[in-house]
Amino acid sequence: MSNARVEEKQNEVLEEERRISQVGFKALVRTLLKHKLSRFGLIVIFLLILMAVLAPVIAPYHPNDQDLYQVLKGPSKEHWLGTDNVGRDLLSRILYGAQISMTAATFATLGSIALGIIMGLIAGFKGGIVDNIIMRMVDTFMVFPGLIFILIMAAALGPGIKNVIIAIILFGWTWAARVIRGQVLAVREHPYVEAAKAAGASEWRVMLKHVLPNSIAPMIVATALGMGGAVGMEAGAAFLGIGVQPPTPSWGRALRTGYSYLERVPLFSIAPGVLITLAVLSFTLLGDGLRDALDPRIRGEGKKIK
Amino acid sequence: MGMRQYIIKRLIYSCLILAAVSVLVFVMVRLLPGDPIRAAMQQNVDLTDESIVQEVRARYGLDKPIHIQYGIWLRDFFKGNWGISLSSGEEVTAMFWRRLPVTLLLFVGATFWAWILGIPLGVISALRRNSWLDASFTTVSVIGISIPSFWQAILMIYAFAVIIKILPPSGYVPFFESPWQNFQCILMPTFIMGTHSAGSFARYIRMSILEVLGQDYIRTARAKGLRDRAVLVKHVSKPALIPLVTIVGMSWAGLLSGSFIIEFMFAIPGLGRMGLDAVFARDFPVIQATLIVGAINVLLMNLIVDIAYGFLDPRIRVTK
Repeated sequence: MSNARVEEKQNEVLEEERRISQVGFKALVRTLLKHKLSRFGLIVIFLLILMAVLAPVIAPYHPNDQDLYQVLKGPSKEHWLGTDNVGRDLLSRILYGAQISMTAATFATLGSIALGIIMGLIAGFKGGIVDNIIMRMVDTFMVFPGLIFILIMAAALGPGIKNVIIAIILFGWTWAARVIRGQVLAVREHPYVEAAKAAGASEWRVMLKHVLPNSIAPMIVATALGMGGAVGMEAGAAFLGIGVQPPTPSWGRALRTGYSYLERVPLFSIAPGVLITLAVLSFTLLGDGLRDALDPRIRGEGKKIK
Repeated sequence: MGMRQYIIKRLIYSCLILAAVSVLVFVMVRLLPGDPIRAAMQQNVDLTDESIVQEVRARYGLDKPIHIQYGIWLRDFFKGNWGISLSSGEEVTAMFWRRLPVTLLLFVGATFWAWILGIPLGVISALRRNSWLDASFTTVSVIGISIPSFWQAILMIYAFAVIIKILPPSGYVPFFESPWQNFQCILMPTFIMGTHSAGSFARYIRMSILEVLGQDYIRTARAKGLRDRAVLVKHVSKPALIPLVTIVGMSWAGLLSGSFIIEFMFAIPGLGRMGLDAVFARDFPVIQATLIVGAINVLLMNLIVDIAYGFLDPRIRVTK
């Protein structure tokens, strides 16, 4: 086969893949919206993002403004959700907290997946000893107790949300690395890849063109599920006093402080607690919906048995 | 490959991973800021006297190059000398053995809840696929997975210790002191740890049953007139439950992570609480021991899962 023919064949395959993915996207959204649980997830996530983006516009107060005459008050006309232990408006803190939570989760998740993709590509391409080292690293990270790893790394790196994000990335990359490496190994065996290589095409280029498109589905699912996990981990770390430093508004921290005033002002802990749960839940539901829609294995009939 | 070779191979592999873990633990702990010796001596030693600090550092071996320190630490660790806690001055091994039963009790309790709740939920929702029952069970299990344990703990403490005062809000009474009080103390913590696993059990079982139901041989079995119950017992249960071994192992491994927050919330003197306190106190020897023990726990579980798999599914032995 001549070089041009190989190129042509490749383009055909790519075009086919692109067409599938475009039709797939519309169908995907339709499937997600049709299913009750994933629709719920999508809507809540949309609202949370809206909260985060619009926080500066819709928050009635600056999140750090203290009014020491209005400490630990219940809901009122001025403070819809009441005030916290130093007289800050709870609603405003919750809105700004969404900002912190969503940004941290997004960076942590995208970072984990990016690092995973890079490590997976390197492992798959290089093979041999490099592959072995990276995969044993994956195994090593996988036997670590997750939360304590993140706590130690965050403690080692110092206070601040940035370091919690780095800690989550350092812990979370392994899964994506495994998937991508698997894809590289699988794609490698395809005849068109061999043909392209024989025709002198750069291995990296051919592989990138085929490995990444093939890995999009699992990566999308991983992003959704990872977001849920990251929101939970960030909140957990903040709850334990690691990560976000005061006075930055944070759901996890608010929950911890609110816990001390549970009986006096229940909303102080209920509001952040419910939001953290809703966020984690919605991303998990979205991830599930995506997986059901993208995974052909369980899309099949599987008839009801009575 | 015979079963024995397979087991030996997995065993060697586990030891290699453990070695890698030990290096990682050692490096991680040394990345922690703060000088542990200074922290430990703060109360009673004149820190301005640099020679005393040096002397104590030498006594703890902290003046040697890092790879030598690693070697010494590893040797001592295998000898059962895990060092002395910098914050309490107690031997880490003694602390470990005292706290291990507490955490194991929590693990067993959590596993109990996970099975009792997770298996029926998963089986029923798979068999009644797309019914309202399936929908509500699926929702319940997703909530079980998603709800952060500290929030669930707060809710339960509020409900069962503050509003209806039937359970203690926190604390721990050893079993041999009072079995009844011990039971009351661990009821909420184990339930919370268990619900998380139960959620993943249920989802996993549901998916795995549905996958099997979609197979051609199930259609054949039904086509030849086998009744549904017989299909389930004969052809669905085994292939659907084999992958369950994995999830049982994984959830056991995940329990340790859960125990850090749960033991913190309920003031239970187990390994999780020990590890968490150590992180905050920069108690190096205790952090190291906790991490290694955690890794051994996971590796051991993985090994058991692998071996169980090898027995249940002969294909594994051949391909790996």
